[in-house]
Amino acid sequence: MTSAPPRGQQEVPSDDPRVQLDEALGVFEPVPPYPPRTEREAEFYTLGDGEMFINMGPQHPSTHGVLRIVLKIDGENVVDLDPVLGYLHRGVEKLCENADYHHSIAYLDPLEYISSLFCEWPGVMAFEKLLDVTPPPRAEYLRVLSSELNRILSHSMFIGWMALDLGGLTPILYGLIERDEIAEMLAALTGQRLLFNYFRIGGVNGDLNHEFLSRLGDWMSRATTQIDANLGLLNENEIFVRRMRGLGTMDQATALRMCMTGPNIRATGIPLDFRRAHPYSVFPELDFDIPTRDEGDCLARYLVRVDEIKQSLRIIDQCLNQMPDGPIMAKLPRLLRPRPGRAYAAVEGPRGQYAAYVISDGTDQPFRMRIHDPSFVHLQAVGTLMPGHLIADAMAVMASLDPIMGGVDK
Amino acid sequence: MKKSRAGGSGTGPDDAAAISSAAPGNAASALAIRDAAVASPIVVSNTLWQSSDPNAYLGGLEPEVTHLREVEASGIARRDDARWSGALEVIPTKADYVLDLIRANSLWPLLSGLACCAMEMMSSATSRNDMDRWGMFPFRASPRQADVLIVAGTLTTKMAGPLVRLWEQMPEPKWCVAMGDCTCSGGRYKRSYATVEGIDRVMPVDVYVPGCPPRPEGLIYGMMKLQQIVKDRRGHWPDRAVGPTVPEDV
Amino acid sequence: MDPALKRRLASRFGERLTAPIHQRHDETEIRIGPGDVPDVCRTLHDEPEFAFLVLADLAGVDTGTTMQVVYHLWSETSSDWLRIVADGLTRDDPRVPSVTFLWKGAEWMEREAYDMFGITFEGNRDLRRIYMPPDYQSFPLRKDFFLPDDAARSPGAGVRHMEQVHVPRAGRPATTIRKAPA
Repeated sequence: MTSAPPRGQQEVPSDDPRVQLDEALGVFEPVPPYPPRTEREAEFYTLGDGEMFINMGPQHPSTHGVLRIVLKIDGENVVDLDPVLGYLHRGVEKLCENADYHHSIAYLDPLEYISSLFCEWPGVMAFEKLLDVTPPPRAEYLRVLSSELNRILSHSMFIGWMALDLGGLTPILYGLIERDEIAEMLAALTGQRLLFNYFRIGGVNGDLNHEFLSRLGDWMSRATTQIDANLGLLNENEIFVRRMRGLGTMDQATALRMCMTGPNIRATGIPLDFRRAHPYSVFPELDFDIPTRDEGDCLARYLVRVDEIKQSLRIIDQCLNQMPDGPIMAKLPRLLRPRPGRAYAAVEGPRGQYAAYVISDGTDQPFRMRIHDPSFVHLQAVGTLMPGHLIADAMAVMASLDPIMGGVDK
Repeated sequence: MKKSRAGGSGTGPDDAAAISSAAPGNAASALAIRDAAVASPIVVSNTLWQSSDPNAYLGGLEPEVTHLREVEASGIARRDDARWSGALEVIPTKADYVLDLIRANSLWPLLSGLACCAMEMMSSATSRNDMDRWGMFPFRASPRQADVLIVAGTLTTKMAGPLVRLWEQMPEPKWCVAMGDCTCSGGRYKRSYATVEGIDRVMPVDVYVPGCPPRPEGLIYGMMKLQQIVKDRRGHWPDRAVGPTVPEDV
Repeated sequence: MDPALKRRLASRFGERLTAPIHQRHDETEIRIGPGDVPDVCRTLHDEPEFAFLVLADLAGVDTGTTMQVVYHLWSETSSDWLRIVADGLTRDDPRVPSVTFLWKGAEWMEREAYDMFGITFEGNRDLRRIYMPPDYQSFPLRKDFFLPDDAARSPGAGVRHMEQVHVPRAGRPATTIRKAPA
């Protein structure tokens, strides 16, 4: 590079050959954006000595969806990065404001499509708070059962993606075997493989049926051994462990400052699990542990999720044993007009805290439907954790935070 | 006019939320629209997003061609070498047939999963529903090496530019599969301010696979249909659409 | 419903609250003016009797007449969610001090509130659009943004007659109830 002034702060003439080359190549948004809009942008888009920008564009095999990251690299080391979101922003909050309460639930599903039940759940809970409706106990148990299955599905996929981002192409196939089996199970229960649309205001949509129970029994009888076998590919794999150990370490103060929740913060040693910290549904009656680790690195985040799978199996067992009889939906009027007011509900999902904040004004449409998604908050941590690592390790760090772009972008 | 039970509502005395027009016995809220007459529709042509700030993005230099519709209208793409022309259009030869068979049995998709349908696409590519049986396993990361663009997931207005650029970067022969309701017609996000209602507004689509999301078997059915299309296209290649397949005023 | 929390909040912040403390189900809500946000949040974060270390959510709200910023906090010392409503932001230039000095993770949530509502967070080092393209003109979640308007300026969108007809929610209810003739 010549001794040109930092690109973020100079006039870029149109006869500059670099500009013409950019234009000939059809660069979508030239880097740096001109002019920088904020302090942080000016700081980021100023190149130091020997640094360059690399754009990991919205289409990239390693991003968990459409995420664009502009990396500032010095050789192979990542010096700084700027994630650009919004490539999957579908305007869900606005759509919910213009739809009935029942219809809003359908909009909540595709937010985090791997863990759709956890996206629906806080919305439904918030609506129930506004309507002062309690779902019957059987419905609560069904919710916990299906959502813990969803948690195992999500964690199986996480294991697959974690390995995929490190370069291992086999574990994703094993993860998808698990995912397919659970998806078929949940399809027998809810009717859908992916965007379940199962929870309703006041209960759930369908009761246990023969196909679901036979698939579930079948799967549970071999679940532990099968999962252990799948994990045996990775947990004892020296390359996997050595690459992940000590990578992207986050300490407790940083985790709290970055508003982490879920396995990301439990991997740093803080046992924050909203199923225990702020119990909802029937979790007070269920017996399970909260796996926690102290190291706070990628390996710890991975192992916390692995342990959570086992705890989820325990919970599913208890749900099946303790499931009471009764209706699965509370009695509700056909046209819902909740009391004017505000309600906040949060659940503990596989990625962290999923929450919904609903403001009702007494009509049949929510006045404001705010959806809080853990992936959105956790993705900020890549800016703190990635710098200083090699590019390949940087991808591992991002994968260990387990973001889903549907939730990030809403 | 306050509602009599506004006291304990928790929304505060001044909220428009507390003064709701739809609940009985209330005055019109602050947001009432006086004139509810139907306005004439705004019809906007399909163009890529342009920045309104003239100084942004290198002083607003215009690229030569801004949209595939213009590419199609100008006929630039018809000069491409991959297109058979002249007598070969009319008489399909054995070479034609073999080439189409080759192409049909090794359609390599581009890894372009945008949203939820990407999960089902991954599921259809892996062990249980194996797309590798039809030769479609290698999901190429680079558009230069891909044959099929399976658009799986909602296309937002911000992503429309990069997606069209991906499509343009793919060398011919190439095909496009619209997977999922969001790409076929906008799906459940049809009224949103930030989505494109169906990718056929920005690029030509060969196969539509509806479903939200379509089952992996559904996607495989769509891909088999695509294989039929590839095989049946002998001699009709020059007529294939280059730009969006939906009329501009829809 | 945590009465101890209500007492502690009333005794500590009594004069700053602009409305009585409201409790319902498992939520406690306090309302403050926008200028008080940094002090209140710092007190709640630092003092051991409160210890609200977890910022659960940061949302913008457009009530039609004013704008608000709503914070949800969680603490081990209480069984309730604490909701802080910074009320009274004007609709034409809503400004509120940022809480990124306490929680760096609030940065993107504030960016989202800026993108969707236009609320300026003073002190946020990176206040630019996060979801919409960088030169988007409007703020989508405001109550005066109707779905057809800015859809017209987005690429690949032809606005259909149906969308232009949509009357915002203040007009008529979404479902009509057929009544039997009297």
